[in-house]
Amino acid sequence: MGRLKQKGKAGAAKAYMTRSTAVKKLQCSLADFRRLCILKGIFPREPRSRKRANKGSSAPTSFYYAKDIAYLAHEPVLKKLREHKAFAKKLSRALGRGEWSSAKSLEENKPVYRLDHIIKERYPTFVDAVRDIDDALCMIFLFASLPSTAKVAPSLVENCTRLASEWQLYVMHTHALRKIFLSIKGVYYQAEVMDQTVTWLVPYQFTQNIPADVDVRVMLTFLELYQTLLGFVFFKLYTDAGLVYPPPQDVEKDEAGAGVGAFHLQGATTSASSSAPKIKEVEINGKKVSTKDVRQTIKSISTSAPADADVDMPADDSAPMDEDEDFVPHPSTSNPDDAPALPTLKTLAALPQSGSSRLFAPYTFWLSRETSRPIFEFIVRSFGGRLGWPASSGSGSPFDESDESITHVIIDRPLIDRANMSEEEKERRRKRKYIQPQWVVDCINAGKALLEEPYLQGKTLPPHLSPFGEHAGAYDPTIGLTNEDAVMEDEDEEEVVEDEDGGHQEVDGESDEEALRPEEAALKAAATAEDEAALRAAELEAEAAGVDYGTFAKEAKKAKKAKQNKAQGKADGDAEQEMNKMMMSNKQRKLYERMKYSERKRTAERQNLEQKKIAIEKEKKRRVKS
Amino acid sequence: MAATELKKSRKRKVVEEDTPAAVSAFPHDVGLDMHSEDEGEDEGHAGSEDDGEVDDFPEIDTRSDSEDEEEDGSEDEEESASGSEDVEDEEEEESEVDTADDDLRIYPKPKTVISDITGQPKRVYPEIEADYDSDSSTEDLSNMNTPPWSQTPNRVGTIPMHWYDDLPHVGYDINGKKVLRPARGDELDKFLETIEDPNSWTTAFDKKAQMDKPLTAEELDIIRRLQENEIPDANYDPYEPTIEWFTGKGKEEVMPLSAAPEPKRRWVPSKWEKQKVMKIVRAIRQGRIVPNKPKATQPQFYPIWSEDTSTLHAPPPAPKPRLPTHAESYNPPEEYLPTEEERKKWEETEKEDRERDFLPQKYNALRLVPAYDQFIQERFGRQLDLYLAPRVQRVKLQINPDSLIPKLPSPQSLKPFPMYKSLQVPHEGHRVRTISVSPDGGWVVSGDEGGVVRLWEVMVGKEVKRWKFQGRVGAVEWCPRPDVSFFVVAIEEKLHFIIPPNLPTAVLTATQSLLSPATLPPQPATPSPVKWVSTAAAASTSDSPILTVNLPPSSGLPKQVVWHRKGDYLSTVSGEEGQGAVWIHQLSRRHSQAPFRKVKGSVQLVLFHPTKPYFFVATQRYVRMYNLAEQKLLKTLMPGIRWISSMDVHPSGDHLIVGGYDRKLCWFDLELSDKPYKILRYHSRALRSVHFHPTYPLFASSSDDGSIQIFHARVYNDLMTNPLIVPLKILRGHDVRDGLGVLQVRWCPRQPWLVSAGADGDVAVWCS
Repeated sequence: MGRLKQKGKAGAAKAYMTRSTAVKKLQCSLADFRRLCILKGIFPREPRSRKRANKGSSAPTSFYYAKDIAYLAHEPVLKKLREHKAFAKKLSRALGRGEWSSAKSLEENKPVYRLDHIIKERYPTFVDAVRDIDDALCMIFLFASLPSTAKVAPSLVENCTRLASEWQLYVMHTHALRKIFLSIKGVYYQAEVMDQTVTWLVPYQFTQNIPADVDVRVMLTFLELYQTLLGFVFFKLYTDAGLVYPPPQDVEKDEAGAGVGAFHLQGATTSASSSAPKIKEVEINGKKVSTKDVRQTIKSISTSAPADADVDMPADDSAPMDEDEDFVPHPSTSNPDDAPALPTLKTLAALPQSGSSRLFAPYTFWLSRETSRPIFEFIVRSFGGRLGWPASSGSGSPFDESDESITHVIIDRPLIDRANMSEEEKERRRKRKYIQPQWVVDCINAGKALLEEPYLQGKTLPPHLSPFGEHAGAYDPTIGLTNEDAVMEDEDEEEVVEDEDGGHQEVDGESDEEALRPEEAALKAAATAEDEAALRAAELEAEAAGVDYGTFAKEAKKAKKAKQNKAQGKADGDAEQEMNKMMMSNKQRKLYERMKYSERKRTAERQNLEQKKIAIEKEKKRRVKS
Repeated sequence: MAATELKKSRKRKVVEEDTPAAVSAFPHDVGLDMHSEDEGEDEGHAGSEDDGEVDDFPEIDTRSDSEDEEEDGSEDEEESASGSEDVEDEEEEESEVDTADDDLRIYPKPKTVISDITGQPKRVYPEIEADYDSDSSTEDLSNMNTPPWSQTPNRVGTIPMHWYDDLPHVGYDINGKKVLRPARGDELDKFLETIEDPNSWTTAFDKKAQMDKPLTAEELDIIRRLQENEIPDANYDPYEPTIEWFTGKGKEEVMPLSAAPEPKRRWVPSKWEKQKVMKIVRAIRQGRIVPNKPKATQPQFYPIWSEDTSTLHAPPPAPKPRLPTHAESYNPPEEYLPTEEERKKWEETEKEDRERDFLPQKYNALRLVPAYDQFIQERFGRQLDLYLAPRVQRVKLQINPDSLIPKLPSPQSLKPFPMYKSLQVPHEGHRVRTISVSPDGGWVVSGDEGGVVRLWEVMVGKEVKRWKFQGRVGAVEWCPRPDVSFFVVAIEEKLHFIIPPNLPTAVLTATQSLLSPATLPPQPATPSPVKWVSTAAAASTSDSPILTVNLPPSSGLPKQVVWHRKGDYLSTVSGEEGQGAVWIHQLSRRHSQAPFRKVKGSVQLVLFHPTKPYFFVATQRYVRMYNLAEQKLLKTLMPGIRWISSMDVHPSGDHLIVGGYDRKLCWFDLELSDKPYKILRYHSRALRSVHFHPTYPLFASSSDDGSIQIFHARVYNDLMTNPLIVPLKILRGHDVRDGLGVLQVRWCPRQPWLVSAGADGDVAVWCS
C-alpha cells in the first residue's frame, strides 16, 4: 500500500498561494509586495479550481504561484527594502533627536537598490526587451508631459523628457518610424526597431494633472522600472548604431525650448578619440592617413548622393561627424539608386517601406505656429524632410520663413482672404503648397506622397484612417459599399437625376452588356429579374430586342424554377443543419453558440456602419439636389 | 464671657474675609478655627440656636448637656497628660489664645506656667481637640461661618440625599425627630422669586435643608476663583518661600560616602582607546582609509546584454494593448460617429461595461483636438492589468463554427420516412389520449377523453365503428397476434376486450374461442381481486365487449396497456400508486397477478422486452429491468430525467429510448451502460410519447410543443459501432391546447407511416 495522501500537501493547494499568505511569507508590507511584483513582473494566476487552491474556500482572492513567491524571497531588492525600512527608522530617530550630523551620515549611506539584475532576468535577450518597451515608452512620454508636483519630482519629469528625446533621436536617426495615427487620445506612432514593431502613444501637448482616482505610487514604481529598462535599451541601441549613449545635451538650447534639437548625436569613434587621443593612423607613402580621410575619400567617390545634410544632425554640427554617421551601415544613403531625387519614379513608389523611409527627403517644410512642433518635427525628420519653424515654437529652426527652399507649409488655420497681401507673400503663396497637417501623416501611412489637392488649406479633409487596420471582415470605409446595387436600387426608386458616379456605372453596365448579343442580354435580364416589375421591364426589353414572347416566357419560367430550386435546396440545407445541431454535445453546442454570437455581433456592427453610410450618402445626394 | 468674645471675633473675621485674602490669613484662620472649635462645643449650651432646641426638649437638654460635658471631660482626661490641671489650664489657655489671636504663628504656642507640684516653670501646650475631624478645618469652618439661623437641624450626615426622595421628611434632627420637607413652590414661584429677590442669584439649593440658601461670601469667592481658573482656596500660597532643610549655606555634606580612594582611570587617558584611535590614524596615514571618499559607483547603464545570454528563458511577454481602429481617429469617416441613441446608451452604461472606452468624435482640424481626459486613467488601468490581473495563455480557436456541427448523412438518402400529413380524423371536442394501429397496419383505434373509441381505416380515414364508454379512455391496444383480431380498451377499473366488426369467419371464431372459451381454465388456487367476465361466444357482437376484466376497485384509470409480443400476456399500469398499480394478465389462463409486492417510487410505465422474458418498469426517475422468469432485478437505468414520461424499446431489444417531461430524450444502449449513450434535447416542451418503428430504422417523438420529430436510428449488430441517429424531419400540424400538444404517436407496422393523436382532438396520419 502506498503512502496515504494528505489533503493540501500536493497539487493546486501546494502550487498556489494567496496574496496574504505571500505577504506573510515574505515578511514585508503589502506596499512592498506590490512594488516587488511590479518590478519582478509577477502577476496573479487563475487556478483551474479556486476551491482546490484555497483549502476548499471559494472566497474571492488572488492567487500567486508558490514558486514565484519562493523566488521573490531571495530577491536582493527585498533585502534592500528591509534595509530601507531600518534606515527610515534610524533617520527619523536622528531627526527627532536633532542629531543632524548622524542624520547626514545616515542619509549618505542610504540603501539604494538597483534594477539591473531584474532587467536581465526579465529580458534575457535584447530582443525580448525591445519587444516589451511599448508600455515603457507610453509612460515616459506621459510623464514627460506632466507638470511636476509634490509626488512627481521635477527630476523625474526631466529624466523622462530626456529619455523621450533620446528615443525620438534614435528613431529619427535610424528612420525607423513606420506608421502614425492621429487619434482622439493622442498620437500613435509605430516604429520598427530590431525587427520588432514598437507602438507608443503620445498625448497631445496639454498640461495634464494626475486625477485623484489614480494611485501615483503604482505609476511611479512602474516608471522606476521603465526608466531603467529604457536606459539599458537605449544604451544598447545607441552603441549598436555607433553613437555615444547619453547624447550630450546643450543646456542653452534646451532652455530656449529647442526640445529634441537640444541634444546632438555623437559618433562613438569621435568620442573615443576625444576621450583618448588615439586616432587610427596608417602611414601610406609617408603620408599619414586617418580613418577620417579614408571616409572622406569614399564619400567623394560616391558623390552621386546629393549633399543632403543629414537631418539628424544639427546643421552647425561639424561635417566629420556627419560622415561618421553616414558610414554606419545604412542602406538608404549608401545606395545611389535610392537618391532622394528619384522617389517619384513608379518603381520606387512600388517599393515597400524601406523606400518610403526617406519619403520627405525632397521636401522642405515650414511649420505654422499653430501646429505642434514636437509632433511634426519628429515625423518630418524621421522621414528625411527638412523642417523650419517660427521662433514662437521654440528656438533652433535651421532656416526662417523667407527661405527659398521651402516647398510645403504645414498650416492648420482656416483660409482667410486677405486683400492686402504683399507681393512677396503672394509669390510665396504661389510657390509653396499650404497643406493641412493630416497630409503629412496620410502620406506616411500610404507610403507615398499623396496629392496635395484635398489637403490644401481651408479644404474639408478626407477622413483620417487608422493605419493599423481592423480585424478581418470588419467594415472597410475605403472600399465603397459591398452592396452597391442596394444603393443603386434606392436611387432608382427615388428617381434621382443620375449624377456622375451613377452615369459612370451605367456606362460600365452597358459596356458589359454589349459583349453579349442583345437577345441574349434580354434573356439574361429575364433570368435575373427578381420581381414582377423587373420582369415586365425585361419583357419589354426582350420585345425591343426582337425575341418572341414564347422563348421569353420559357426562359423566364426556367429561370424562376431554377431559382426556386436553389432557394429550396438552400432552405433544406439550412433545416438539415439546424436538425444536425441536435446531435452536438453540450460542450460543442455552447462553443458553437459563443462563436455564432460573436460572429453575429461583428456582422451587426458592420451592417450598422454600412447602413449609416448609406443614410449619409442619401443625405448628401439630397442636399446636392436641393 | 468667652462666648461673647468669640462672637465678636467671629464677626470681625467675617468682615476680614471680605477683604482680599492675605498671605498671613491661613495660619491665622487655622488657629482661630481650632479655638473656635473646641469652644463651639463648650458654647453649645449657651448658643442662641441651641437654646431654642433646649427650650423644646428641656428634659433631654440637661442630660445631653451633662453627657456632652462628660464626654468632653473623658476625652480630655484621655488626651491630656495631666488630668488634674485640666480646668485651670483651660481657663489660662483661653485667655492666652484670645490675646494671641492676631499673632502670626504656625504652631500652637506653648505657655510657661509654674507647676503646682514641682514649683518649676513648665511649658503647657494648648489642648488638642481629639475629635474625629479636629484637624480638618474646612467643613467646620463652613459650619461655623453659616449664620446660626441657617444652621441645619438635619443630622443625617453625609449621605446621598436622594434616599429621602420618596419620603415626606428629609432626615432627623439631633433629637431623632423627623425633619419635614419644607414646602417648595412650583416653578412659577421659583421664577418669581428669582425676579423679586435681587440676591436670588447668589443662593443655592441645600439638599439637606431642602431649601435655597444664600451663598456666603467665601463660597462666592471660591466660585469666582474656579471660574477664573485660580486656586480655589484663597489662603493657599503657591509661591511660598522654600525652606532649606538639607542644602544651602552651612549644610554642605563634608564627609564622603565611601572611603575608597579615587581610581586611576578617573584621570589617566585610556590606553585601549588610544590604540584604537592610533590604528585609524595609521590607516589614514597609510591611505588605507580615505575619509569622505566618493563611493565607487557602478556606471548607470552598461552593456547588460553583451555577455552571453543566460539559460533562463524569458517569461511570456504581457499581452499588448489593442491597436486603435478607424473609430478612434480624430477625423473618422462619418459613419463611425455615434447616433444620438448610441451616445446615450454609451453614457448610461457603467464604465466597466462599455464596449469601447471612448466615443468617436470628429474634428475638422488637428488644432481643435482637445486633450484626452481619460489618458492617465487608461495608462493606470493598463498598469493595473499588468500587475493585478491573472493571465492565462489560451489557444485561439481558428475554426469555422459550422465545422462543429456533426456531419450526418442527408435525410434525402435515408428515405422513406413520413413527410406530410395525409389525412386527419377528428374527435369532436375531446383530447385524443391514445391510439393503436392493428398488427396488419390497416386499422386504427383511437380513444378520447369523452369515452369514445373509434375504429377507422388508415388509408382513407373512413370510420367503421364507434363505441361509447362511460368515463375517459385510458388506453387502447391491439393484440399483436396475427391469427386473432381484437383490441383492449382500458377505462376506469375495467379492461374491455372488443372484437372489431367485419372479420373473416376463421379469425372471428379463433378470436371468440380465445376470449370466451367454452371451457374455462381452472381457477387459480389463490383468489385474485381481478375478475374476468366474458359473454358467451355465440352471444357476442362487436357492439359490446366480449370479455371484461374488472380490476380491483378504486385502482383508478389504467394509464397504459402493453401486450407481450406473443399476445398472451398483457400488462396494465393504473393510476393508483403502490402495489395495485401494475398487473400482468394472462389470457389463456384468464388469470391476473401483481408482479411487484412493493415498488420504490410510483410506476409510470411498463414494457415487455421483445425477445427475452424481461420486463421494464419506469418510475419517475429510474428505469428498472426485471427478469420475470427468474424474478429478479437485472439493472437500474439512470436517465437523469425528471420525470420520465415515455419509453420504448428497440425491436432488437438492445436499445431503449426514454423521454421526459424536462424535454430530454435518452438513448440507452443496454449492453453498454446504465447511463444514457446519448442525451438529446431538441423539443421546446415536454416529451409525451416515443415510439420505435417495428420494421424500419425509424423512431419518432412527440412533444407538447405540437411537433413530432422523426429520427433515423440504425443500430448495428457488431458491438463496436455506435448506433447512428440522424434527425430526419420535424412534422408540424397539431395545435397546442391547454399546454398539451401531441399526446401519442404510433407507427404503422408495415409502412413508414405515422399516426399521431393530438390534444386538439385530431388524429393524423403522416405518410412518406
